[in-house]
Amino acid sequence: MMKLARLFCWAGFLLPAVAQVTYQDLKTADPRNWLTYSGSYSSQRHSLLKQIDSGNIHALVPKWIFHVPRQERLESVPIVVNGVMYITQSRAAYALDGRTGRSIWSYRYPSTLGQGDNRGAAVYGNRVYFTIPDAFLIALDARTGSFLWQSKIAEAKDGYWAPAAPLALNGKIVTGVAPGDYGMNGLLAAFDAATGKQLWRWDAIPKPGEPGNETWAGDSWKTGGGDTWLTGSYDPELSLIYWGIGNPAPDFDGDVRKGDNLYTESMVALDADTGKLKWYFQFTPHDTADWDAVEIPVLVDAPFEGKMRKLLVQANRNGFYYVLDRTNGKFLNGTPFSPHLNWATGLTKTGRPIRVPGIEPSLQGTNVCPSVTGATNWMSPAYNPDTGYFYFEAVDGCQIQLKAAQKFRPGGFPFDATGVTESPEGPLQTYIRAIGLTTGKPQWEYKLIGARVYGAGVLSTAGGLIFAGSPEGSFLALDAKTGRELWHFNTGETIKASPMTYSFKGEQYVAVEAGSNVVAFGLFNPNEEGR
Amino acid sequence: MAALAQQTSNPPARTNPLSGNEQAIEEGHEIYNRTCTTCHGVNGAAGARGPALAGRRGYQRSTDASIFDAIQGGIPGTGMPPSGLAITDIWKVAAYIRSLRASASDTFVPGNVSHGEQIFWDKGDCGSCHMIGGRGGILGPDLSSIGEERTLRQIRDALTQPRAQIPDGYRPVEVVTTDGRRLSGILKNENNFSLQLLDSHDQLQLFTRDELREVRYGHASIMPANYDKTLSPAELQDLLAFLSRQARDKIHRSRKNTEHEP
Repeated sequence: MMKLARLFCWAGFLLPAVAQVTYQDLKTADPRNWLTYSGSYSSQRHSLLKQIDSGNIHALVPKWIFHVPRQERLESVPIVVNGVMYITQSRAAYALDGRTGRSIWSYRYPSTLGQGDNRGAAVYGNRVYFTIPDAFLIALDARTGSFLWQSKIAEAKDGYWAPAAPLALNGKIVTGVAPGDYGMNGLLAAFDAATGKQLWRWDAIPKPGEPGNETWAGDSWKTGGGDTWLTGSYDPELSLIYWGIGNPAPDFDGDVRKGDNLYTESMVALDADTGKLKWYFQFTPHDTADWDAVEIPVLVDAPFEGKMRKLLVQANRNGFYYVLDRTNGKFLNGTPFSPHLNWATGLTKTGRPIRVPGIEPSLQGTNVCPSVTGATNWMSPAYNPDTGYFYFEAVDGCQIQLKAAQKFRPGGFPFDATGVTESPEGPLQTYIRAIGLTTGKPQWEYKLIGARVYGAGVLSTAGGLIFAGSPEGSFLALDAKTGRELWHFNTGETIKASPMTYSFKGEQYVAVEAGSNVVAFGLFNPNEEGR
Repeated sequence: MAALAQQTSNPPARTNPLSGNEQAIEEGHEIYNRTCTTCHGVNGAAGARGPALAGRRGYQRSTDASIFDAIQGGIPGTGMPPSGLAITDIWKVAAYIRSLRASASDTFVPGNVSHGEQIFWDKGDCGSCHMIGGRGGILGPDLSSIGEERTLRQIRDALTQPRAQIPDGYRPVEVVTTDGRRLSGILKNENNFSLQLLDSHDQLQLFTRDELREVRYGHASIMPANYDKTLSPAELQDLLAFLSRQARDKIHRSRKNTEHEP
């Protein structure tokens, strides 16, 4: 500093130092920033920003594009702190000027054994955290991209990798691993935000002698899967982390792992300080359809049957929408949201699926609905407290599911025991759906014509808007109440990431990653010359 | 092409007995400037008929043996003739050519490394602007891998010779906003429409041009270039010994499964 001051002979007025990201900031979630993967600890993805609304949405124009070299498909959600945007890809992180898309720094990890998707960063203090395909948590200086430290989450040489955006809590960073489909057992780990030291670790598959191990036949728990590849949510008052757990392995051959296979296909609540399991709720006991339950848990305080409740809701890949009490994991309500659901006729009073016998993978093939891709997937949902609706992307359809015996091979190889073929019952079809928060009752749906696969997540804003993206490249805004299409833009590349919004110096922006680009939108401003 | 590939990929397994020998490199330098500069440039630069031998290019021969073979036997099909030098002199020239390309971390740099580290943080005050291993300041470049990114000569020059140009991302800048606020810092990026700086409080500041009344660019790097005067020769050598060993990325590549780094 002295050097700079000398250089300019300068002793003038200073801007106050901008505070680094504190735990309080993360809890408050100022709508001008977007500090976590899902925008806030509750993961509602509802922004209070309303400069862009249903009345002026026609004036929404692209403001800038940032192209990420050597990347085909970005899947991260940008993080924004005081106008600075952080994005990540599998081995790299970038800091951008959120108003102009101009680069401030970039960081590239030297080399990795593996490859894989990356879904974003976490910020805490003056640091940016992200994970790399070799299952390390990386800490960078948020102002320069300088590498500070790395900590191992799991063994890359065993086949682990780490795609999830980490979650920053009070002085600790929590993250998980992939892939369960290789028979690699999942875990969650917390690291000291300053030093990278591991503080606790929770294993998703209980070992012999631990509660839950009895839900695995023989030694099948050893290759049980149950990974943690999408970011969870957090309730600071209860000090509980909520994280969805992935599928059991081998995916399609359940014969070798008889039992409920805990804690695969469950929502788990862990004590944030110790990593101890507080409660769990299993959506799909003994899953044979690869219906990972990692979908974002959305935390809402709302009346349920006349009483204010702390709720956790999730649209699950198995085709049901669940309402749980997040203090204890008690099942409150569950409704199918997929019209093609054929594997269960409903849910019991405790939320256990009532299975249709024979609807499971077979040697000759069985038509199972929803498909293996799931009735929904990693695409982030949203909740708008103004409408009381829960919004998410759904994929309707069926697939023929097959099974065959397969031996586990250590070192990171697929362990799915066969797979799927197309069902004659029509192609898959993608929708944006709105349902009642506590009832699960359908409110509206918007069909994404031409979309047969997963697309983007959704964003809700106080401007009465739902932003969504289609895998064919359209970015669009819908009326939150009616689902009516209000605006669209062809980004030219497939959209597989979830949109977000932020504001800087009084102007609101909406950004989404499309293919190899980050695209930011804002209202047309005729006074912008000179920008 | 096939012949070339064969020559470069299957050299005899021979290494330079004079590798890294400073006196041999010095003598090799003299022999090179005396005999090779009909075609190649002086001091390893590009010449009238031969390419530059300094730098790191994909087409360059990189092993001791392949450089030796080219000097001894020439490169068939090109203008490179056999040199006719004695074998010891060939090894001396090969050692010199390797030294032109070697990063500081490839070079043996004598000195007291731990004393150099102490000078980095204390007397030299390098750590107030530069980071090594996650510790230090952020105004200047991170030096955790400087030993493999730069040659010894480049590091010595950075410490002792004022730079003709300030590298992108490190130019000092002072701005005055249209509402009269004055900030100084390091310019990270700019174009006709916007400017991004790291201010004197270590915070990023983002401006559009229309928000700025004045932009003053510093014409000198804030990096001191007089360490040959502020440090004793022994202290400077110790600092060089420390900096030349900063090769985190190389260390990282060789230690894939470390629990925790740095």
